[in-house]
Amino acid sequence: MSSDILLSNEVLIYLLSEAILFAVAAIAAASAVPIVLRWDFSSFSPRQFALEKRAYLLISVIGFAFSVKFLLLPYFAYGIDRLALLIPGAMCAAGVIGANDFGYPLLAVKVAVAFLTGSWLIVSRLDLRAEDYPYLRGNTLLFLLIFALMGGELLLDWLYFSNLTTVKAVSCCSVSFGQQGGSNPLPFGLDTAKLLLLFGLIYLLAVLSALGRYAATAFVSNLLFLPTGYYALVYFFGTYVYELPTHKCPFCMLQGEYHYVGYLFWGALLAGSFFGMNAPVIGRLTGADSGGLYRLSLAFNTLFVVLCAAYVARYYVMNGVFL
Amino acid sequence: MIAVRNLNKTFHPGTPKAFEALRGIDLAVREGETVILKGVSGSGKSTLLSILSAMDKPTSGEVLVGGRPVNKLPDLHASHFRAHSIGFVFQHFNLLEELSVAENVMVPLIPLGLPYRQIERMCRQSMERANIAHKADQNVRELSGGEKQRCAIARALVNDPPLILCDEPTANLDRANTLAFIDLLKGMRERGKTIVVATHDPVFEEACLEARLIHMEEGRFVE
Repeated sequence: MSSDILLSNEVLIYLLSEAILFAVAAIAAASAVPIVLRWDFSSFSPRQFALEKRAYLLISVIGFAFSVKFLLLPYFAYGIDRLALLIPGAMCAAGVIGANDFGYPLLAVKVAVAFLTGSWLIVSRLDLRAEDYPYLRGNTLLFLLIFALMGGELLLDWLYFSNLTTVKAVSCCSVSFGQQGGSNPLPFGLDTAKLLLLFGLIYLLAVLSALGRYAATAFVSNLLFLPTGYYALVYFFGTYVYELPTHKCPFCMLQGEYHYVGYLFWGALLAGSFFGMNAPVIGRLTGADSGGLYRLSLAFNTLFVVLCAAYVARYYVMNGVFL
Repeated sequence: MIAVRNLNKTFHPGTPKAFEALRGIDLAVREGETVILKGVSGSGKSTLLSILSAMDKPTSGEVLVGGRPVNKLPDLHASHFRAHSIGFVFQHFNLLEELSVAENVMVPLIPLGLPYRQIERMCRQSMERANIAHKADQNVRELSGGEKQRCAIARALVNDPPLILCDEPTANLDRANTLAFIDLLKGMRERGKTIVVATHDPVFEEACLEARLIHMEEGRFVE
């Protein structure tokens, strides 16, 4: 265990914030259980009135906690990027996140929690717009699931940061993401041209399904757009951000050297996929008009594609060649 | 217009300070009817009005206003209900002291997002009905008690609500102003408004208001 890591400003602030949010969520979870078990909006009993008062408070508290939790995701990325200064061998967050076995599982749980908390916030907004809390019980169950995941996330947070060391050297991003021994890092044996073709087709499908509000197609295309966008950014468009064909890293672009553009890239990709997958699911489950979610999906996915294309175009205009 | 069934309200329930303000209230008020709730302080009149106006929640029981279960409304909808359906006249007027009469009357219209010209027109009409238009630009601090009450009435009427609730509206008025207020109530009733007044002022019984009198005692209706 390295106190240099645990006592660094970023990690201290991050762990403390996560612990406080988990404590708030734990108190909310204790209040949420009676709502799941005894909620009956048609009743005029003292118990139901007490539950209705509690429900409003609960929604407000969870909404606040989840909103703050959203902000902690980019802060986590920023924090681990800063730790690259302390960990030998790490040149960016890539080395830090891969420094032990807990890094990537933690990142995956964080993305899952972010997606679920986002869904909770959207349904909660719909719930408060209605007069009779139609989705309260289901959304409270979703909250309890998220709470359990938050517990696992906090445990992984601790295991990850407490197992980071400033003594042992780690691999940098060129080792983690570069072609090792000529092997192809892309899945299913794809080469770059096929990856880009797939990326373009899935984006087109996502656009058409958002415009036509085809629920199933929208869900599948956005589900596929997330990994395809990831690979396309890391293994092709990212090289134009770094202006170096061998530099393939999802994290370096989060640094000031690249004007923190990685936050915009990853934020747009995650938000686009999130809204694209939520629009059909929430529309189907609640019967509410999810046109706004489709439009947000369209906007963020397009922002991601435009950003990617802009870096390629900029490089070509400035140098007259492609990488 | 109003249907109340088995309404109970207990403050600080489950504690030694528990106080039952309303006990099993049943009430039905027809559209256009005027009801006067009479009773001494602490008999539950104000609590009942607070629940009818969705400003407070009961401990148990059903409250329907215009067919809507107002005691079950989440805050957002309760605010919407109050903004559109209720005009409330308070004992202490509850005017914003820094504002003029016209500005006070405009306040309930601000959240409705209406064009300013329409707000001005509605405000002018309401002040004329409450006979306070001549003081429109005067700061409410400079008004007499009766004028303040007329300003409060103009504010309560400005969104043309179907239900007017008045909580001890004449407690701070002299007899002349009380009678003027009752005249205003008669005018509202003639315009089809449903009115519920909580008061212990005997003038209301003498004023030939054609209202239904209900006596309250210790949170219950008594004959």
